Amino acid sequence: MRTKLFSVAVAATATLALAACGGGNGDGGGGGQTGAAGGLKGQGSGESCTISQAVPVGAALSLTGAAGSYGTSQQKGLELAAEQLNAKGGVKYDVKIEDDQTDPRQGITVFEGFVNGGKSIIIGPTLSNTAFQAQPVAQEGKTPVLAISNTAKGITAQGDYIFRDSLTEAQVIPQTVKKAKEKFSLAKVVVMYSNDDAFTKSGFEVFDAALKTEGVQVLETITFSKADTDFRALLTQAKGQSPDAIVVSGLIEAAIPLVTQARELGITVPIIGGNGFNNPKLMADAGEAAEGVVVGAAWNSASANELNAGFIKDFQTKFNAAPDQFAAQAHAGLTLIDHAVRSGCSAERDAIRDGLSKISNVPTVLGDVSINADRDAEHPAVVQVVEGGKFTVLQ
Amino acid sequence: MLTDATLTFVALGAIFAYSFYAVLVAGQLSLGQAGFASLAAFTAASLTPKPSEIGEIPALLLAIVIGMAVGSAAAVVLGLPTMHLRGVFLAIATLAFAEAVRILILNQEWTGGAQGMSVPKVLTPGIAWVVLALVAYWFARMGRSRYGRALEAIREDELAARAMGIDVGRHRLMAFVTAGAVAGLYGVLWAYYVRLIAPEDFGFTAAIDGLVTAVVGGSTMFVGPLLGSGFQTLIPEIQRALGVEAGWIRPFVASALLLVIILFLPGGLASLVRRRVRLPKKHSPTGERALRTRVHPGRGEVVASLEGLSKEYGGVHAVEKVDLELRSGEVVGLIGPNGAGKTTLVNMISGLLHPTSGHATVLGTKVGRVPVHRVAQAGVSRTFQHSKLFNRLSALENVLVGGHLVSRPTFLRRLLWLPSARRDELAALDHAARCLERVGLTDLASSRASSLSYGDQRRLEIARALASDPSLLILDEPAAGMNHVEANRLSDLIGSLAADGLTILLIEHNVGMVLSTCDRIVVLNFGKVIASGTPDEVAANPTVIEAYLGSAEAESRPTDRTEGSHA
Repeated sequence: MRTKLFSVAVAATATLALAACGGGNGDGGGGGQTGAAGGLKGQGSGESCTISQAVPVGAALSLTGAAGSYGTSQQKGLELAAEQLNAKGGVKYDVKIEDDQTDPRQGITVFEGFVNGGKSIIIGPTLSNTAFQAQPVAQEGKTPVLAISNTAKGITAQGDYIFRDSLTEAQVIPQTVKKAKEKFSLAKVVVMYSNDDAFTKSGFEVFDAALKTEGVQVLETITFSKADTDFRALLTQAKGQSPDAIVVSGLIEAAIPLVTQARELGITVPIIGGNGFNNPKLMADAGEAAEGVVVGAAWNSASANELNAGFIKDFQTKFNAAPDQFAAQAHAGLTLIDHAVRSGCSAERDAIRDGLSKISNVPTVLGDVSINADRDAEHPAVVQVVEGGKFTVLQ
Repeated sequence: MLTDATLTFVALGAIFAYSFYAVLVAGQLSLGQAGFASLAAFTAASLTPKPSEIGEIPALLLAIVIGMAVGSAAAVVLGLPTMHLRGVFLAIATLAFAEAVRILILNQEWTGGAQGMSVPKVLTPGIAWVVLALVAYWFARMGRSRYGRALEAIREDELAARAMGIDVGRHRLMAFVTAGAVAGLYGVLWAYYVRLIAPEDFGFTAAIDGLVTAVVGGSTMFVGPLLGSGFQTLIPEIQRALGVEAGWIRPFVASALLLVIILFLPGGLASLVRRRVRLPKKHSPTGERALRTRVHPGRGEVVASLEGLSKEYGGVHAVEKVDLELRSGEVVGLIGPNGAGKTTLVNMISGLLHPTSGHATVLGTKVGRVPVHRVAQAGVSRTFQHSKLFNRLSALENVLVGGHLVSRPTFLRRLLWLPSARRDELAALDHAARCLERVGLTDLASSRASSLSYGDQRRLEIARALASDPSLLILDEPAAGMNHVEANRLSDLIGSLAADGLTILLIEHNVGMVLSTCDRIVVLNFGKVIASGTPDEVAANPTVIEAYLGSAEAESRPTDRTEGSHA
């Protein structure tokens, strides 16, 4: 027993020692970047800018846990972007990807580690709720943050170091509703949404407001849980109302069975989805049933834009899979950061912040992106429809 | 690695684990703590004025008070209907509660639903650790108090705890309310640290996380939750510091480590820390003064009177119309073949079983109408046919629990370090040591009960029963498994107890011992009294010889225990 106690004591001491070392590497806490500042300023400007030190970028993504599928997609987009930018030369990026495990505790800890560890900018986190919890750490540490997937209201209002390249629901959904109304002469619809998810709930709120603005009557609003997989009863209920379309705010996990079951039940009216539907899995898993689904999106996968076509090809080559919107937004994120760094030819935190706030019509895989006064991105959204197993632009 | 956030989350995780520890220590498996925390967090965050209006610390303190009150109130509401549930059934019921709370909060306007509620950040690592220290202190002081021992006794053997006079229902509810208050505290601290609380923060995963932390740390010692939280929080950090690539490998390694700990340290990390057993100094001068004294009935007064007492199981009469009177100072032997109904009879006398018909008054209580612990309070103490010791407690602690009824509650005074609490604990310790000495187990005081030999376990049970200073002592086959030397010593012990004026009811198959020890013998067969009288009369009674004693040689033969022995 005594020896056991001794070994515990040794293990505990070792842990603490290790902890102390870990802390020491992190630039000694609150000091932030000062130690590394010299190497982060470069020569030249724009395309000719050269910075000797690799720009330290931290990305807090949900690689595991509930949002794991989104995070891994973002990881791939970032890795591809970093590879391409580093190949270009002049400014190199050292992208450190950390997993927040879809856990607020990890999100906050990872952010704190990045801020104290001297990262020039933080990308992420994957989910809006985690963003609200973790971003203030960066704001207090005067470290810029670029959100690449958060669509909730108020993300960038948390502070003047917080930016995002992902369009909010308010920027995408009204366009979707408008376009769909024109196309299908919608007069009355049934709305379905999962009310236990922050993302789909705020999506619903925007849908609801947009439908009102467009003067489309909502016959009924039906809620479900993000864990549901059987929607037959709810869909039968919706069908009974004879709507012109069914509007759904749900995650892809719900979208696939919902769309499949709707078609099984003989519901032929268009199904209009929110951001969660914008995923190649919809066609892969729902097959025929996905035909005619209308999805508003921040990323037009069918765009003939040269950058985008190249991105899809390179992504397919590197990962042997088609990119989704999360990957595209992640890729665009690092592109914007590169632009911000080069504009002042400095990877210091404040320089990047200034650079980001001045972004105007920068070409990315999402199209030409500008950052507005609220530090939110502005770029064209697209309304897509599934045709022949592919997203095509709804004309 | 030890950043502010990590330090804070170690403290928060430990506090949440303490809310599981609070009930695990009493053997209750509850998952409702996530629900308590959720209700507390949302209520406190919405009722407390903004820190900018009343100051950060006052706001946090007010929120803590609200949160703990909400948590305890919710625990009472959930506890009252569920406290009779055990094991996995309680776990499921409390989990259902937590899930109901999550759904409720998800669908309320004022909570912000799935998008959550913003809460200002007030908590600092310093405050979190101060609060953790207070919580840990609470449980540390509870450990060696009368209340803490009672909870441990309930965990080890609920029936035996009842028989020692512990009001199990009340103790379980109190443990549950403590869990509610601590969970509420956690909910508030969490809310005032993470800035945005969402119902998901208190979902199923959180509940399992808290339970795992408490179990991996160890639920029998107060440092357990702290060790568990340190382990759970630091494993990802250590992996990060060691440069393990982010992704599935980290949770995989963490889970594998968890598995290793549970396999090799079933008692949790805390089982690496040696459990210190206090031994009293021989005959300290405090004496019996600090103990509660019991008024025993005068010699010859009626201790128990049974009238037509019957117990029926689906048409089978285990005990049929037994009339019996026990008088103070008597040693009465109860004998009969296996299945004669002896244990059923004493189970009714000690309140464990309710009679089907008939009346029994034992030391002024109408047994069958009152709970077991009330019968014990009246002065009945017993041992069991099959040892029911508190296995993971030391021999001394077993006897200390036995002294529950005669010692004073010390927990609240121990929190304040009052000298009187120390005096009372020493007196209880001294009393327990004397009980152990009486049965000759002083040298084994610090051994775990489960590690004792069979004969020593029987003697420990007697010491535990004696510790409650009973008026009526019921010994159910105390000599079973003892050799002749031990049985003779036991016989002497019973004689000396009787000389002290104790009334003893002895069930025993060792007929020689019964004949030499008892003043009076009652013989049961098929649930009925077939003979009663002095040892000589009974030994000469032809009905008894036919029914039980059989041939003359059986007189000294110990029972063949392989026949199955339940009454």
